[in-house]
Amino acid sequence: MLKKSFNLTRRAFLKRAAVFAAAPYFVPASALGRNGAVPPSERIVLGGIGIGNRGSHDLRWMLPEKDVQFVAVCDPQKKRAEAVKQMVDTRYGNKDCVIYHNTPEFLAERTDIDALLIATGDRWHSLAAIMAMRAGKDVYSEKPSSMTIAEGQAVVETARRYRRIYQTGTQRLSEGNFTFCNEMVRTGRLGKVHTVRAHIAPWDSAELKHDWLPAEPEPPKEEVDWDQWLGPCPWRPYNSAYTRGRWRGYYDFHTSCIGEWGAHTFAQCQVGIGAANTSAVEYQYVKNESGDGMVTRFANGIKMILQRGGWRGPCGVRYEGTEGWVSAADGYSKPDVSSPAMMSDFRKLVRDYQARTQRPMSHVRNLLDCVKSRRQPVANPEMMHRSMTTVHAANICMWLKRDLRYDPVKEEFINDAEANRLRSRAMREPWII
Amino acid sequence: MSKSKINFALLIALLLAGAVQSFGQTIPPKEHEGKLIAVLKSDASHKEKADACRQLAVIGTKDAVAPLAALLGDEKLSHMARYGLEPIPDPAVDDALRDALGKLKGRPLVGVIGSIGVRRDTKATKQLVKLLKSSDTAVAQATARALGSIANNSAANSLLKALKDAPAANQLDVCEGLFRCAEALVAEGRRDVAIAIYDQLRSVKGPHQVRAGGLRGAILTRRKGDLRLLRRHLRSDDYIMFSAAVQAAQELPGPEVTKALTAELKQLPADNKILVIQTLGKRGDAKALPALFAAAKSGEKPVRIAAIKAMPDIGDGAAVPVLVELLGDSDREISKAAQEGLAALPGRQADAAVMRMLNSSDTDRQLKALEMIERRRMTKVSSALLKATRDDDESVRTASIRVLGDLAGEVQFPVLVELLVNAGSSSEIRAAERALSATCTREAKPSAGKVTIRRAVYGAIGEGGSADVTRKVAKIVAAGSLSVTASNANFGDPAPGIHKQLLVEYTVAGVAHTRTVKEGETLTLAAGTTPEAFIDQLCSALAKAPAPQKLALLRVLRVAQGPRALDAVRTATKDANAEISSEAISVLCGWPTADALPDVLELTRTATDRRVRILALRGTIRLIPLQDVTVQKKLAAFKEILPLVQRNEEKKLLLGVLATVPAAEALSMAMAHLDNPATKNEASFAAVAISEKIVQQKPREVADAMQKVIRATDNKDVLRRARATLDKAKKAAGR
Repeated sequence: MLKKSFNLTRRAFLKRAAVFAAAPYFVPASALGRNGAVPPSERIVLGGIGIGNRGSHDLRWMLPEKDVQFVAVCDPQKKRAEAVKQMVDTRYGNKDCVIYHNTPEFLAERTDIDALLIATGDRWHSLAAIMAMRAGKDVYSEKPSSMTIAEGQAVVETARRYRRIYQTGTQRLSEGNFTFCNEMVRTGRLGKVHTVRAHIAPWDSAELKHDWLPAEPEPPKEEVDWDQWLGPCPWRPYNSAYTRGRWRGYYDFHTSCIGEWGAHTFAQCQVGIGAANTSAVEYQYVKNESGDGMVTRFANGIKMILQRGGWRGPCGVRYEGTEGWVSAADGYSKPDVSSPAMMSDFRKLVRDYQARTQRPMSHVRNLLDCVKSRRQPVANPEMMHRSMTTVHAANICMWLKRDLRYDPVKEEFINDAEANRLRSRAMREPWII
Repeated sequence: MSKSKINFALLIALLLAGAVQSFGQTIPPKEHEGKLIAVLKSDASHKEKADACRQLAVIGTKDAVAPLAALLGDEKLSHMARYGLEPIPDPAVDDALRDALGKLKGRPLVGVIGSIGVRRDTKATKQLVKLLKSSDTAVAQATARALGSIANNSAANSLLKALKDAPAANQLDVCEGLFRCAEALVAEGRRDVAIAIYDQLRSVKGPHQVRAGGLRGAILTRRKGDLRLLRRHLRSDDYIMFSAAVQAAQELPGPEVTKALTAELKQLPADNKILVIQTLGKRGDAKALPALFAAAKSGEKPVRIAAIKAMPDIGDGAAVPVLVELLGDSDREISKAAQEGLAALPGRQADAAVMRMLNSSDTDRQLKALEMIERRRMTKVSSALLKATRDDDESVRTASIRVLGDLAGEVQFPVLVELLVNAGSSSEIRAAERALSATCTREAKPSAGKVTIRRAVYGAIGEGGSADVTRKVAKIVAAGSLSVTASNANFGDPAPGIHKQLLVEYTVAGVAHTRTVKEGETLTLAAGTTPEAFIDQLCSALAKAPAPQKLALLRVLRVAQGPRALDAVRTATKDANAEISSEAISVLCGWPTADALPDVLELTRTATDRRVRILALRGTIRLIPLQDVTVQKKLAAFKEILPLVQRNEEKKLLLGVLATVPAAEALSMAMAHLDNPATKNEASFAAVAISEKIVQQKPREVADAMQKVIRATDNKDVLRRARATLDKAKKAAGR
């Protein structure tokens, strides 16, 4: 029965999806008297796993897309699931969004869902993505998309294995200012680029916590399924603070101040310097708590420096070449440039990028387009994994308090057995990939 | 208790104490292994044992294996035991895990199977093959995946067998195992076996993603790809297998693949065509262009548009004539897509096609060409653009001036000036004015040679913990940058944990400046300066231009700035032509730098025209804070004009700038407007903004002011800030 439902549903969907890709050109919805609304039969059926604050933000971008129908949410926390249902139902004016609490059951039952928004805590990102892709779903996963180098490898392998489309939530790769910076490098307008600077979060530290919050009585499983909330992480006693976001800063659940923003900025820098399919090869330990000032180096000789400051907004990057520099961060009306004349080509570079790659300046739309075209989105699994490897390696460098060298081909640290042990963590049963 | 037992217990206690101290660390010292093992063997708490397991994962040796393995059957600690064991590179771990296979059940067994898979222990194959038939679904599923990771012949055969007879619930895991086997076999060079597995997977009556993944593997695993299989599935009525074949073609290089894709294109339904066309674009093989041209020229509109969009992907100039032809298509969407495609297509052929369009006699094509020149940033076609500025059609003339302005550099500036002076219509005057203003801004040149760094300090300025970074800043400037970022990365961290500032004293062309920025902000040491040659040309033109053009030139001079530009505007304020003098006064009052302040202040005092007086007063209020003088001198200037500030509009403007002046007198001036209902909000905001900056120096004045603001304001944000500042003031006053 399972096989049959997969089979029919998928076939029907893909047929629909391709037709829809053409639909706006064949017969405009307005011509059919639908006032621009796309019929449900032509929509991408979307679901969600673990949608909290950040996920709600993503969902607000997805729901207005006319070819999306969000139908169900799965969360081990009842209240969060209900909040998402309310948001979705309000949007659609019905009561149709269905709530699930168990991820494997959700995936097995909802064979009609084509793509999933995964916005759990960091600990679940890669596991949920892998489970979803094995079940034949395409995925939009919030960042940071892996807790270890091994998890990232598994995401890449699974996506390739099952031909899944996967996009990680590094949305600045689909924003004009950052795209301009990347294109300035790609087109040689900065001359030979020698240094890039990546913003890391100016709070918390690279060293993570290992303590347990005091035990509280576990709520009923239907309110919070604590075992599932923990997922692949080591067991610890329940404390409601974790479920309210106080999991950040813990080794089991978080990728430190480096991963908090580095998941974005390393990806941006690596795409910018043409290193999206590799990782930094050298990591120089710095004697501070955060990794601020750490110099990493790529095989092409370009340095990437981790910085806590240097921008007027979050998630900044700066590229420096022999002919000038560009810099951007959230909140900039336009990028900072070393010479005003550089901005002349802003529109051209951004529009040429879109024409050349067929990637729009909307991260969500990029995923939805790729669900239909089966092309790789900008934040595809390989790009995610390689930039997250740089994040993980920088963390490991800080934890070991020594310089490291990494071989991106073999995906192992060179002559450092301890560092290599930190590439993976045994996952807790039954949450094993 | 005997003495020896007491000593032993003491020893254990001491060992545990040492180990517990290190539990907060991610990486323990190597010599702690013994202590950590002792923790495992003791009656330490769950937390302490879990921490020991985690740390042994990093430093554990063969010595740690048995103590860790002893916990595999412990429901609470089984996972942490594997957490410790899995990364230890010693075969004893494999022995221990295999040994546990026969003893465990339920979740601990699932975990151990998973760890065996991670470690790819081939010796466990036989035991795992038996577990593949376990009635415990979770055990059977974990086993299928682990066997896939082990990927030897026996594992592959048992999984192939399971593919036929395993329960439906386990099918996906068996398939996962087979995919892993096939990938490992490809890596070992045993492609024939891998292909046989992929053929099985693509043929199963199973989940769509398995069949599609199997087909992808089957096509790609054969060296140079299995084109026969690719072609067959390109003709498939099964859309899933069709799209899987197309997706595989994205990963396959070579002209034969292009040929296979294009050969099938004509026969396909429209939606399938789109997928193939998008893939042809992605592959970038120019041999696909003839098929794309045919698809672009006729047929269903979405297919045509997909074909047009694929052309810039390929980036070959051969697409130019087709795109040019399609520009004239009667369907606007097709024409627009062709225009965008041509604009994005790189190379000289596309440039030449655009120039031919510009030289045509068709106004519509000329306008499209101008759009593309701008979009393509064709900076070397100024002579053709100049010619277009003399076109018979006003829309072409105006558009070409606009484009010229967008692309112009220093060389074209005199031409733009001439175009403005000789402009024949108001739309051309507007276009030329915008072009000149944009060029002045774009070509402004900061000059590092004129900047001298006198002193630079980074840190918690005024609170200790700062460092003299004069030499570092001077070095940055000497290297050609006029932007300096206040960051630890540039200057180190002289005050850890404290938000720092960068203060720089410097001169630009001999004029002294002092600037301070917060940590994380970038300080730009000099604004760009418009080239002197531009100012010369603008001033010369001002002398000879007709009146409407003079008005535009005055506005351009305001953008250009500088003493000579200001002189020219100052002179124009006395022009006999009332329209010109009026515009010059407006420009003067809106001057962007403090150089104009004496003139504007004079107008404030002496102008008889009410409109001029208001303009001048507003300009004065705006310019006073821009002066490079002390706060006291700024306050004195404000006091001087206070009697003239009568209307609420100017009072609000004044309060806005007072908010930036950190002085008790500024606070008093702001508070004077708190009782006026029209200015209450602005006064409250200014008072809070000033108080936040001076609360430590003037706590009593601030406390008094904040109490009044709290009573007066109904703005929630201002109220919150006022209360916070009042608290600080009370604390500061208490000290």
